[in-house]
Amino acid sequence: MSSPLILLPGDSVPSEYLPSSNSSAPLRLGPGLRLLSQPPSSSSSKTSTGHVLAATQSGILTTDPKRNAVSLLSTPNRRYVPTSNDLVIAQVHHSSPDYFHCLITPQTPQVVLGQLSFEGATKKTRPMLKQGDLVYARVLSTGLGAGAEVELTCVNPATGRAEPGGLGPLTGGMVFDVSTGMAARLMRASSSSAENQESVDGLVVLDELGKKLEKVGGFEIAVGRNGKVWVDCANGGDSAIKATVAIGRCLSAIDEHTLSLADQKKLVTRVLREMKIET
Amino acid sequence: MVGPTTSLTPLSRADGSASYQCPATGANILGSVNAPIELPGRRDALKPEDATVEVFIKPGTAPGGVGERYVEGIIKSMLGRLVLGREKSYARRGIVVTLAIVGGESKPRGDSYLTVLPALLQTSLLALLSASVPLSMTFSATVLGVNTLGEIIREPAPTDAAAATSLHVLAFSSKGHLLLNESRGSFDFDTWERIRQRALTICHGTLSGSPDGDVAMVEDVDGQPLEGVVRETVEDKYHQDYAWKIDAA
Amino acid sequence: MNKEAPLSITERDFILNALRENVRLDGRESDQLRPLSISFGQEYGHVKVKLGKTSLIVRISSEVTKPRDDRPFDGIFTIALELTAMGSPAWDNGRQGDLETYVTNVLDRVVRHSNALDTESLCILKGVSCWSVRADVHITDYDGNLIDAACAGIMAGLQHFRRPDAVVKDGQVIVYGVDERVPVALNITHKPLSITFHTFDEGNRVILDATRKEEQAAEADVIIGMNNAGDVCFLSKFSGSPVDAMVFVTKSTVAQEKVKEINGVIDKALQADLAKRAKGGMLEESRAENDR
Repeated sequence: MSSPLILLPGDSVPSEYLPSSNSSAPLRLGPGLRLLSQPPSSSSSKTSTGHVLAATQSGILTTDPKRNAVSLLSTPNRRYVPTSNDLVIAQVHHSSPDYFHCLITPQTPQVVLGQLSFEGATKKTRPMLKQGDLVYARVLSTGLGAGAEVELTCVNPATGRAEPGGLGPLTGGMVFDVSTGMAARLMRASSSSAENQESVDGLVVLDELGKKLEKVGGFEIAVGRNGKVWVDCANGGDSAIKATVAIGRCLSAIDEHTLSLADQKKLVTRVLREMKIET
Repeated sequence: MVGPTTSLTPLSRADGSASYQCPATGANILGSVNAPIELPGRRDALKPEDATVEVFIKPGTAPGGVGERYVEGIIKSMLGRLVLGREKSYARRGIVVTLAIVGGESKPRGDSYLTVLPALLQTSLLALLSASVPLSMTFSATVLGVNTLGEIIREPAPTDAAAATSLHVLAFSSKGHLLLNESRGSFDFDTWERIRQRALTICHGTLSGSPDGDVAMVEDVDGQPLEGVVRETVEDKYHQDYAWKIDAA
Repeated sequence: MNKEAPLSITERDFILNALRENVRLDGRESDQLRPLSISFGQEYGHVKVKLGKTSLIVRISSEVTKPRDDRPFDGIFTIALELTAMGSPAWDNGRQGDLETYVTNVLDRVVRHSNALDTESLCILKGVSCWSVRADVHITDYDGNLIDAACAGIMAGLQHFRRPDAVVKDGQVIVYGVDERVPVALNITHKPLSITFHTFDEGNRVILDATRKEEQAAEADVIIGMNNAGDVCFLSKFSGSPVDAMVFVTKSTVAQEKVKEINGVIDKALQADLAKRAKGGMLEESRAENDR
């Protein structure tokens, strides 16, 4: 993408930018786009030409021909809007007989998490979470219509297991706030296998920290799309706290300034030296 | 003509923010948008299916008063027409727009807000874009004064504005519709038509048709059209924020 | 009522445990300020302050009014601070919260009641007219320690501001425009600043210039207001758990050091701005000569 197409609200998406795959899958629209008109369903060729799309937000147009999807990358500083299947870090506010009422973004209504939506939870074995506890969860549904409640879950409803691993209460460690754009980048960077590429989404910081912190026992990380990153160096012993702080500082520095791959590596080295952590 | 100075997302706490400085009128505005958030204690006043837009104007060197509340009403009703308040997770929520007049001449109390109104509108648009609030389209706004000789002055300085026989604020959508028309003073229809033409040129540039049917954008005395300023500000910010993606490809 | 999101147990515990090891989230020492930058706008008395991620704008303005009946020899000085949704989504527009009342009160005590601005010098004609100086504080980003940042901004603004010259002629007050007569600086008697500390771990850990999360996790706050000479003009321990009296004694020394440091930053910014203005003025003059 040498010259990205940046759209403003009201701009229509030029048809040549739409994925032209002949797959039978329907065209998928990401947030920030809306369909103004579509080709008559009777037409034999199910190509995406003929769709008239308009942007409702500003953003960079991206397409995924494999999934026949088109979406907008919007401003990285925006507020998180819950979307089904997103992984988030929620904070328990209070509990009621059936649900834990949690916060995922400040100044918005609470979301609910079923008391039994944990792996292997029964009425007797369910986790006893109290106010201020953190949970790594998946957005199950955002509801329909105005005023609908957002529901979270820590299990895959089909299998009853915590999928992917790690869903459930987060204990110890520390959470850091990052922008929603940074959270999305970290998510892709930490979920993709490291061997095929040096860096994902221009991020090398996690790999670099992983290598450098091996001596203090490595670290665990959980990224929530709502702009929260949980980090724990449980095996770190004496330098656990310093290492955790160092990771937090690296993440927020990269969030605030655009850093090249080489600069990210330099940053990691510098912060670790400042925190007096052996590498 | 020196164009306005703009920046997108200068603040870190608010969900979206923008600054806008118009060298001609001297207006220097900082705006922020928080959305979608819960508006506490006003549930019955909210529309059940729609988002509520709230606008708050904070003058630089004086307490807010009736004048601010009046302009807030104008901006609120105009933004309300553009915001898609039924989009996902916006219904029953609030979109809080806060505009602070941080620079420029301090206004005497009770003075009209017409000269800074376009800057306030442009700032709120940029801040809404920065917060990624769903909008049906964008707009651009300008202020024009008519002096005693009948000449049109674009974005008059405070002294010119005080001497003008009439002042007009016009806003056009990105599709060219007239969205807002606020005027003060005495003028006739012909003058207003000339004003409208000029304002449209300032906002959208000139579409001059040459004899052989070619239509070309022409940059004239008004320099870059305001519509382009908004687009450029947004594009610059995206190039900066997504440099890791754009440069890599 | 909107509120800042409460801290999670994880954050609260981590901040405390880290402080026990003398580590802060941004890697600072416990007695270290965040990077402070002060700059001035085009108008006199327009100050931009950035303290770490906390940022604010102060604007000083003046107008001629009638003095208060009970103080005919005094001018009027007011500090207006309003928290808007710009500084933090947790703040409501047009509603006064507890934080706003608290910060306004402390600023009033440190700057106004210590008589940093000599209000008698604002009198123009006894009982008839005087200057009313107003300091508006606009919080643009809130990440803790509002009080110290606002205090530095107001003091910098008062030193930077120039009011129009006014004279009394035959019982008539004449105010000269800025282009008619060189505007005059305000009469500053001393330069007080506030320094805020927060205590943790039953008063055993005391840190300076807390961020928003550190403020939320803290047990109590201690504010010391003093000037370069070390004269203490304000002391407060407003709420929270008890603090040992020795903290006030030991931290006063730290506070004085920091007051000097911040005043140094303000002086530097003032001089830089003065130099810039002098240069601009000369350019203006040379251009005027060219015109002739």
